[in-house]
Amino acid sequence: MKRNIFAIAFAAVLAVTGNVRAEVSAAKAEAFVKDVTNDGIENIINAKISQQEKDARFEKLFNQALDLDFIGKFVLGRAWRTATPQQRKDFIAVYRELNTKTWSKRFDEFKGKSFTFKGTTPSNSANQIFVNSTVAMDQGEPAKVIWRVKQTGDTFKIVDIVIENVSLAIAARNEYAGFIKNNPGGVEALIKNLQNKVKTM
Amino acid sequence: MIKKSILFPVMAALLFTTASCATTGNTNPHEDNDSLESYNRAVFKFNYQVDKYVLKPIAEGYRDITPEAVRNRISNIFLNMKEPLYFINNLLQGNFKYSGISLSRFAINTTLGLGGMFDVAEGWGISRENSRFDQTFAKWCIPDGPFIVLPFLGPSTPRAAVAFAFDMAADPVYWATLNDANVKDKISYTYTALEAISLRAQNIELLNELERGSVDFYSTMRSAYLQNRKNMGCRDDENVQTYDFDFGIEDEDEIFDEMEAE
Repeated sequence: MKRNIFAIAFAAVLAVTGNVRAEVSAAKAEAFVKDVTNDGIENIINAKISQQEKDARFEKLFNQALDLDFIGKFVLGRAWRTATPQQRKDFIAVYRELNTKTWSKRFDEFKGKSFTFKGTTPSNSANQIFVNSTVAMDQGEPAKVIWRVKQTGDTFKIVDIVIENVSLAIAARNEYAGFIKNNPGGVEALIKNLQNKVKTM
Repeated sequence: MIKKSILFPVMAALLFTTASCATTGNTNPHEDNDSLESYNRAVFKFNYQVDKYVLKPIAEGYRDITPEAVRNRISNIFLNMKEPLYFINNLLQGNFKYSGISLSRFAINTTLGLGGMFDVAEGWGISRENSRFDQTFAKWCIPDGPFIVLPFLGPSTPRAAVAFAFDMAADPVYWATLNDANVKDKISYTYTALEAISLRAQNIELLNELERGSVDFYSTMRSAYLQNRKNMGCRDDENVQTYDFDFGIEDEDEIFDEMEAE
């Protein structure tokens, strides 16, 4: 009998500790991503407004929803360490602009589509969680889209998007590492190249 | 002309040799296993030209002259021919229920679906259970080997290349044409070319977008390709999320130290 009470008490302690460790609120994180995608689809893609207004709304939503400073720092990889403060600033600025413009265009591909949310998966990184979703494609199987969400206090931010197992943050990090490795101009050349890309978009 | 029936085992043997020599000692999740980088970049450049001047124009032309409904029918025929492949691989992975599904889908769609043009089985709630040799080898925990870009075929690894050869051999078109010397090459080359064009037509936008935003398209493709493969998982670590890398700035120094130590 005593043993049973011990077992229950032990289980209760474990449960409480477990809850304390899981700092990220799964329900809130999922609701956050749902809101962002709904907002994007209803108030931008499907809204009857000018393209200019669409772009402006998208830029605002995109910059609010994503932590682009955090992502930018990560994708520059080891080059971040050796970059000067000015280079860091320039890189983040151009990275932000490049992504805003690229995704503003790609976002239209989701016209008439909707995300089906499939719960969350814990992450090994502190204060982070994965929100799972799928989106129907014109042909073939639905695509798997996973949102990596970081919680700071009551604020949620998307820090990575994983499409069919491909993390966009890792892909960008490898891309920039590849560029820097093959270019004597290093980070400076990378920033220049990205700035030129943004100009022609 | 080299007989294809000879070519296949030779190619498979060659690739197996490459696979067994391949080093897989890359443990850093942030860096891709690319010991053949300079060779790969050269072949990538070559493939890119082939794609730009041959495959892409054909795929675009194909999209322009065929209505979407027709394209879907054609892509359905190719997909139906893959059911025997799915059947074998579901079996090899021990998914008996799925292999039964693949077999019944092939029977239903080949007959009632008019040679696979229509997916009748899907309408009955029997959905495709796609499974290829690459997945089977992954489940069997066969190591992947280094990243390698193959002429015409594109990004690959020794394991993926061997699996691809097996996939081709499991296609009914390959078997049907194997013993008839006159039609064999014509039919199967046309078939392979059509299949490549149909697939390319489906991916045009996606690839355009990837390329436009990238400063080093080779690295982007390699990263996307290898990330996708890592997640195929071997039986022992099916529940490991490979995209759950250490993503905290405070841990970053540790990652860099690890990378520099290599």
